[in-house]
Amino acid sequence: MRRNLLRGWPIPALIALLIYPWIWREPYFHVLGFNVLLNATMATSWNIMGGYTGYKSLGHAAFFGLGAYLVAIAANQWGWNPLWSAPLLAVAVTLVAIALGWVMLRTTGSAFVIATIAMLLIFRLLALNLREITKGAPGLSQPLPPWPPEFSRLPFFYYMLACLIAALAVSAYVRRSRFGLGLLAIRDDEGKADMVGVNTTLYKVLAFGLSAYFVALGGGIWSYFTTHISPVFAFDILIGVDMILTTMLGGLGTLWGPVLGAFILIPASDLILFTFRSQIHVAIFGALMLAIILFLPRGILPSLQEWLERRRAPRAAFAGARSMAEMVADPTRPSEAARRGDDEVTVAEEVKS
Amino acid sequence: MTAFLRTEKLTRRFGGITAVDGCSIEVQQGSITGLIGPNGSGKTTLFNLITGVYQPDSGGVYLRDQRITGSLPHRICHRGLSRTFQITRLFWDLSVLENMIVPVRQVGLRALFGPGMYQHEEERALALLERVGLAHLKDQPARKLSFGQHKLLEFASVLMSEPELVLLDEPAGGVNLTMIRFMMDLIRSLNKEGVTFLVVEHNMGVVMELCDHILVLDQGRKIAEGPPHVVQSDPAVLDAYLGS
Repeated sequence: MRRNLLRGWPIPALIALLIYPWIWREPYFHVLGFNVLLNATMATSWNIMGGYTGYKSLGHAAFFGLGAYLVAIAANQWGWNPLWSAPLLAVAVTLVAIALGWVMLRTTGSAFVIATIAMLLIFRLLALNLREITKGAPGLSQPLPPWPPEFSRLPFFYYMLACLIAALAVSAYVRRSRFGLGLLAIRDDEGKADMVGVNTTLYKVLAFGLSAYFVALGGGIWSYFTTHISPVFAFDILIGVDMILTTMLGGLGTLWGPVLGAFILIPASDLILFTFRSQIHVAIFGALMLAIILFLPRGILPSLQEWLERRRAPRAAFAGARSMAEMVADPTRPSEAARRGDDEVTVAEEVKS
Repeated sequence: MTAFLRTEKLTRRFGGITAVDGCSIEVQQGSITGLIGPNGSGKTTLFNLITGVYQPDSGGVYLRDQRITGSLPHRICHRGLSRTFQITRLFWDLSVLENMIVPVRQVGLRALFGPGMYQHEEERALALLERVGLAHLKDQPARKLSFGQHKLLEFASVLMSEPELVLLDEPAGGVNLTMIRFMMDLIRSLNKEGVTFLVVEHNMGVVMELCDHILVLDQGRKIAEGPPHVVQSDPAVLDAYLGS
């Protein structure tokens, strides 16, 4: 009864995405599509930590930049093709995230958020100052893709689509696994989770590492896509802010929320940018984030789901409540009460679905 | 009989207050042991020291003569020691059934990469839910249940980790008489199945009827122990409760 909202949608949506670049052939639309998919992939990844586990990192751009730089350096130094080196080097970034997570996850709440921002700033400083490797502030260039320029965005679009599907598969698998159940338990009550036997530190660190993977992969592909990267753009805190904003708009801790958020937010952001042609979009984004937190704290998908359920079953909710009240009034005869309650809950579910 | 759980001169201070002060207790295997004392006598702090939430300033906790002091809470849980809370703690956004599955003990990689729920686990969870009368609510989010049902769910869920010793913090607190009866019967029948209990409870009627051994704390120290009728007439106990 819970996942009905999106039943049947993923397949038509996938087909629409597959033909999208052939309907809108201008390079701009291919770039926009790539950006949407990139953001959706990274937000889906971020959601494993920020949504399922409840630890909201503001510094995931560190893994984006790290992925971007590793791919660019490998391409320049050893001629590694980013299309296969990005997924590989993202594993290295995951290991870095696990090591850093081990330290940072001793903190909780806002202290954790600050620690992640500090992590991002440290990586940016490293990128600026390790000139031998990163070429400093001017940044790094890498070889252009070999395919013809008029189609040059197309392979990136499809590659990113595959990344998004992979990220969604991982997110769905985590959500249904015992690991994911432990993460949700940590989000609800970490101390209690520890006391009923969940190895909270291990779970959090692994979730942090996993959530870095697709962000690093996205960074790697982005670095090939833009061909020139510099610390200011690769380690930009707004990249992490986008992931959060997207996820919170669509639905924090839901499988499809980050995707929905990206499909709304990225085109909207482009539209604002084109309309005003200035950095005003940053201010508008800030206002938007406030508005989401104030008026739609759980995001579009959960709010929509709740609204639909309430609209369809106003009476069933009462019936459920009554059966529970009867249960407590009469706990000595649970079987009888259970039978009565069972009927009513079933009715409630039927009305809802 | 050997002591299943033993604390040795356990001390814990908070600022200038010594909440638990050189406390040594023993819980015999297979018993229902009561832990009573006036408010602020250190009962809940003692629970927190035993379950690894707090580290003691000195002294130790032993489970079957093995020192568990300093172990992390989940390790202690894996050794067969579970607890409930005075103010019920559940995973509020998870369903009733999921609340039951989280505490299931699993080892190694299966714990991480296995499916959310194996069929045999679900069956065991449903059987336990049936026993406490919550089976029909298995798909409801925990927060939608009533106060009494929260208590029952928390109790049932800690049993999913197959504990040998359960620490109950006020199982009869704030619930009606029928429910208290139900809880007591449940504790007794689980005890017959081999589960040892250490129970903190303010309702003296419940303690005297339920427990076969009682420990009395006052100001962080054990001031008396024995079978219910002995403790009941102990002058030190009367002193602690009524003041001299």
